[in-house]
Amino acid sequence: MAGLGWRWTRGRGAKNFALYLCVASAVTIAFLGKAEPPLFDYARSTLSDAAAPALSQIRAPLIAVERWAGNVTTMFSLFSENERLRQENTQLRQWQHVALSLQNKMHRYEVLLNAVPDATSQAVTARVIGEASRPFIKTMILNAGTAQQVKKGQAVVDDRGLLGRVYVVGANTSWVILLSDLNSRVPVLIEPAHRRAILMGDNTPAPKLELDVSDGPVKPGDRVVSTGDGGLLPPDLQIGTVMQDGSELRVALSARPESADFVQIKAFILPPPPSATEPAPAVTASAPEIPLVPQATIAEGISQRPAPPAMPLQSRSPDEPQFDGQNEELDR
Amino acid sequence: MSAVAGTVEQMFNHPLRLLASFLPLLLGLLLVFLINMPVSFTGGLLPAPALALACVYFWVLVRPDLMPPAAVLLIGLAEDLLSGGPPGLWAAGFLAAYWLTDRERDSFAGLTGVGALVGFAAVVLSAALAAYGLETVVYLRLAPVAPLLLHGVSTVVFYPLVAIPMGWLLRNVVGPMRGGE
Repeated sequence: MAGLGWRWTRGRGAKNFALYLCVASAVTIAFLGKAEPPLFDYARSTLSDAAAPALSQIRAPLIAVERWAGNVTTMFSLFSENERLRQENTQLRQWQHVALSLQNKMHRYEVLLNAVPDATSQAVTARVIGEASRPFIKTMILNAGTAQQVKKGQAVVDDRGLLGRVYVVGANTSWVILLSDLNSRVPVLIEPAHRRAILMGDNTPAPKLELDVSDGPVKPGDRVVSTGDGGLLPPDLQIGTVMQDGSELRVALSARPESADFVQIKAFILPPPPSATEPAPAVTASAPEIPLVPQATIAEGISQRPAPPAMPLQSRSPDEPQFDGQNEELDR
Repeated sequence: MSAVAGTVEQMFNHPLRLLASFLPLLLGLLLVFLINMPVSFTGGLLPAPALALACVYFWVLVRPDLMPPAAVLLIGLAEDLLSGGPPGLWAAGFLAAYWLTDRERDSFAGLTGVGALVGFAAVVLSAALAAYGLETVVYLRLAPVAPLLLHGVSTVVFYPLVAIPMGWLLRNVVGPMRGGE
């Protein structure tokens, strides 16, 4: 009896023709995907927007089953886990005291120096509704999009550190490219050597570090944080620690995408550079030449602070214009 | 025109048969959807398996008329889009798996037990090679092989979880719905 639906493909010749046509389509799509990524980004965001309600609904029972399975496994290591957590808690309390005293000291220095406060990045909290860890991609889907002011390129963090960046934004969903993805390249800073490097994902759990040409010892255990270079990511986000892998340096990531449930999408926008025709913002002798916060914020901050003590600008040559710190124009 | 009218008439007269025709495609899409949930039942030990590939293999093996190349292309594209990966790669991989399964159907159909897993592993390997080759040609880079192999192993390990319910569906749902074909 003849069937319905796919009857036209039943003949051997027709089936082969259909197969060749489909293979040609797949190859064409692969090349188009490289040449015109926005086309497929749009399709992807539309698909995820449409699937978001179902993903959120199905997710709940699956998470419950996963947690139950996880609990059964951890029951056997409960005692040793408890001991380890006690020790870690004691150490963390000590570090908390150190951090608090350093924070106070830093605050006093900032007041003394009349320093420009750091930019405070705004954040949107989103839920992870999809995740793909595949040979050619490591990504996750969040339930926040343009409706929640999410933009392409914004940093995504969990409670431990940086997870990745947003690379596709739909109306109510966004896609995150993880740090471990093959296509991920992120500028980082290694502390305490203050050495810059590029974190290069290669689909392994620990991405590679490509160091810059400057000096400075980098050793396993050093902290890796984000830089604000290029305005891509907020500075000083925890990323991980350096680890040695043969002759290569890699980073043990702090964030755990596989256990991330809720994440934060951090908005960080650099102010536009001062144009040649616009007057530069009012500066004081202690302000940096390239501000990292919006100009309005700087002006507001300066207007609310007491006037700084007059400081001689000894580093400038006599030919350069001199400033008294009160609404002068820096350069035109 | 009369043939088209006849087909449309049959569609309305036999809606269950029509549904049964599209059931393998819908199951493949459902598996793509499920596998992209943010859940790992192996505690992160193994990467997510390509369950949709197991679905494609099963239906091409037992009822190739219900899993034509166009359906395989659709499932592969859904996998590419929903996993966030480069479009077209797994679509080509799934089609390579289709080609091998269809070509060697008699050999694969005779395999049982561990042999069936080995047969499926060969099909997974063909899909992985096609996807890897296309990725290399299109993006001019060599992706790491280890994650791809692990993905393949995970897919083979989870094959029985797909094949057993699919066999049940074939016997109890698709067969009766299509009038005991």
